[in-house]
Amino acid sequence: MNIPSDLRYTKDHEWVKVSGRTARIGITDYAQDALGDVVFVELPQINASFSPGESISEVESTKSVSEIYTPLAGTVSAVNTALEETPELINSDPYGDGWLCELEIGDASSADSLLDAAAYRALVEN
Amino acid sequence: MRTSPLDARHRSLGAKMVPFGGWDMPLSYGNGTVSEHLNCRSDAVVFDVSHLGTVRVEGGQAKELLQQALTNDLDKIAPGRAQYTHLLDTDASVLDDIIVWWIDEQTFDVMPNASNTSRVIEAISGQDTTESRAILAVQGPRARERVRTFSDKAADVPRFEVQRVEMFGTQCVVAGTGYTGEDGIEIAAPLNVAERIFDALLGAGITPAGLGARDTLRLEAGLPLHGHELGPGITPLHAGLGWVVAWNKGDFRGREALAKIRDAGLDRKLVGISTSGRRPPREGCSVVSHGNQIGTTTSGNFSPILNHGIAFAFVDLAHVEPGTEVSVDVRGTELPGHVVKTPFVKKRIG
Repeated sequence: MNIPSDLRYTKDHEWVKVSGRTARIGITDYAQDALGDVVFVELPQINASFSPGESISEVESTKSVSEIYTPLAGTVSAVNTALEETPELINSDPYGDGWLCELEIGDASSADSLLDAAAYRALVEN
Repeated sequence: MRTSPLDARHRSLGAKMVPFGGWDMPLSYGNGTVSEHLNCRSDAVVFDVSHLGTVRVEGGQAKELLQQALTNDLDKIAPGRAQYTHLLDTDASVLDDIIVWWIDEQTFDVMPNASNTSRVIEAISGQDTTESRAILAVQGPRARERVRTFSDKAADVPRFEVQRVEMFGTQCVVAGTGYTGEDGIEIAAPLNVAERIFDALLGAGITPAGLGARDTLRLEAGLPLHGHELGPGITPLHAGLGWVVAWNKGDFRGREALAKIRDAGLDRKLVGISTSGRRPPREGCSVVSHGNQIGTTTSGNFSPILNHGIAFAFVDLAHVEPGTEVSVDVRGTELPGHVVKTPFVKKRIG
């Protein structure tokens, strides 16, 4: 199970990468494996604002639908439009080309309370 | 939870397993459902369908017993052929949809869905031989060509025929049947050769496929699934399968109730719906026209061949014509679509 050490994680199997005040969000290798082949992704609107725990995206596979909850408060500044034609990027490259969206966040340290790689690995290996 | 005779093989291939009809079966293997689906339409795949029931019905009375229990007419076929048929409840609901393999004069293998096997045995008696064999469904335009590399006889069993074929020294039953819309065969293999045959199929370049692909393939092919398009309150007539009902062969279970429904006229019918975009319609979604619900979906998914959503739905009679514009309410999002003839993807075989 691939769990990059430079990312933060949630118990709902999302990853977060913070650069300055931009947080990029996606789903983990564990999540894409559990979902199966992704066939459709619903992305948020640019400039939409979210509070932590709000549903920001839906990822659908042939067998199920997964709601994605933003771990951080912020305003959507970018979405991965490649997923419209090629949603399977989430399966093939969940931490890279399969990213979902980016948020402008108020407080960069808000990601510090999320799980680090070791804590997330402990979660999924149990 | 029951396991297939090929369980160890699936696990060693890294299959994701899923409970289905009381059995632990492969949902998909390493490359996923969509890849398996596309392989079936372009090359050849093998499904382990050992969870389906086999009820052996034998003897001088076997044919008559089945004629009275099932809707279709065995006199349309002969020993050495297979037939699709329904078992009805006394209220004409479809208790199960079934393939009958007529192996020889007094020997029939009746194949119910996994979850309906005990109900079928109650209705027709017979011997449950499910545990004695594995069933491998080999499907795809190159299925026969690949099987031919180790068994001419299996590869050559014609469409809808059934033959005993010796494979690796053991007598198997092979039928020219399937559930994908592609050409292929199904092999009923006694336990002692099941793994050998599975390995031979993989060795011939046939890739394994799981229940996820089996469902997306049958949906594209416009084939019903009991528990969705067939079941309590649904007759063959509602499901557009009136052709499985042999009205003139004599009495059969459910005939009286079905005749009353036929004569009263139907209130709804099963149709195919194509939706726009990649978002999959699912089962249990409202079908809407001009703001009113006019039906409900029974199955739905993304079609890997068509690249958009497809669904089966029961709709009222005003909306059954192909081309009728409707929308499907998927968890609050209205998907535009229209009624289409099925199969959604043209079947490659007859």
